[in-house]
Amino acid sequence: MSTISALVLAVATALPAAAPAPVPAGAEAILAEVGKPGASAVLVNVWATWCAPCREEFPDLLHVARELAPKGLRLVLVSVDFPGDEAETLSFLTSQGVDFPTFLRTGKDEAFVNGLEPQWSGAIPATFLYDANGKLVRFWEGKASYPVIKKRAQKALDTKETR
Amino acid sequence: MTRTPLLAIPVLVGLAFSSAVGGGPLPIGATIPMLDVAMKNVDGKELNLKSVVQPAGTLVVFTCNHCPFAKRWESRIIELGNAYAAQGIGVVAINANDPKAYPDDSFEAMQVRAKEKGMEFPYVVDATSNVARAFGATKTPEAFLFDKNGKLVYHGAIDDNGEEPSKVENRYLKLALEAVLAGNEVPVKETKSIGCGIKFRT
Repeated sequence: MSTISALVLAVATALPAAAPAPVPAGAEAILAEVGKPGASAVLVNVWATWCAPCREEFPDLLHVARELAPKGLRLVLVSVDFPGDEAETLSFLTSQGVDFPTFLRTGKDEAFVNGLEPQWSGAIPATFLYDANGKLVRFWEGKASYPVIKKRAQKALDTKETR
Repeated sequence: MTRTPLLAIPVLVGLAFSSAVGGGPLPIGATIPMLDVAMKNVDGKELNLKSVVQPAGTLVVFTCNHCPFAKRWESRIIELGNAYAAQGIGVVAINANDPKAYPDDSFEAMQVRAKEKGMEFPYVVDATSNVARAFGATKTPEAFLFDKNGKLVYHGAIDDNGEEPSKVENRYLKLALEAVLAGNEVPVKETKSIGCGIKFRT
């Protein structure tokens, strides 16, 4: 192997793989994703690249998702970035090491907000936690910290035993 | 009998809801809260909501400088505010964000923005975020319109399309303002839009 190709390989392996482009989705599609079989709990997070608390919370959400994935936690990320912000959204997802499909909100605000959860005011970040049956067990507006997210997700996973 | 309230708690909580506010928004029909709280306007003078209230009706909009949603609606908020203030509606824009979280939301930046955009109504600082808390506002932008009796008749979005002004189908706030001026019932009283969560001061 030449020095140059070795160097190229080294650089290529050091860079995270590009994240998949977010899939356009309305509230129904997000809820369908929540209801897909195979998860013991689902965490849905609504975020945007320009939303500072969303960006701050992002690594903690991913951390919890990675730790609890073996226990059946699924993370569904929904960006509400504006049309035209696709490159920035993708670049942020890539920088965070997101290697699974994520979503981009489509349609009108009100249909999306009320379709996802009537109690949600529309403020972001917003996070929704569902149990294995797709029932909403908790939601919160504003960012949460790693231990808080983990505790809540763990609790949602634990309720599985009692059903 | 002390056990009854304890037993009732799980029923009441039902779904655990945690938000920055908790109490929920001001219900339709409510009166204007926090009338006497002094807030600093971009002209450097302090005012309170009592001084904003007008006999024809009063519009309170929680907004800010930094939020991309608020920015998308900014021109529309100012256009409506200026137009209806001229027709006798009391109008105020309130920034409840902690500027430590968002430097763009500082008082100086608000002064610049108000001048740049030609705001003809006050743009004030909710220095404790307690006015926003009392309204149950959670995000920017978020509008509260009170009728001539000082009762909340509209709460929610400016219109139904922040991203693309040309694609707006329902001008909720404008319709509500028209109804208030005409003394009619507001057709759609509560709407929602996606917005930046207010960074409440602690």
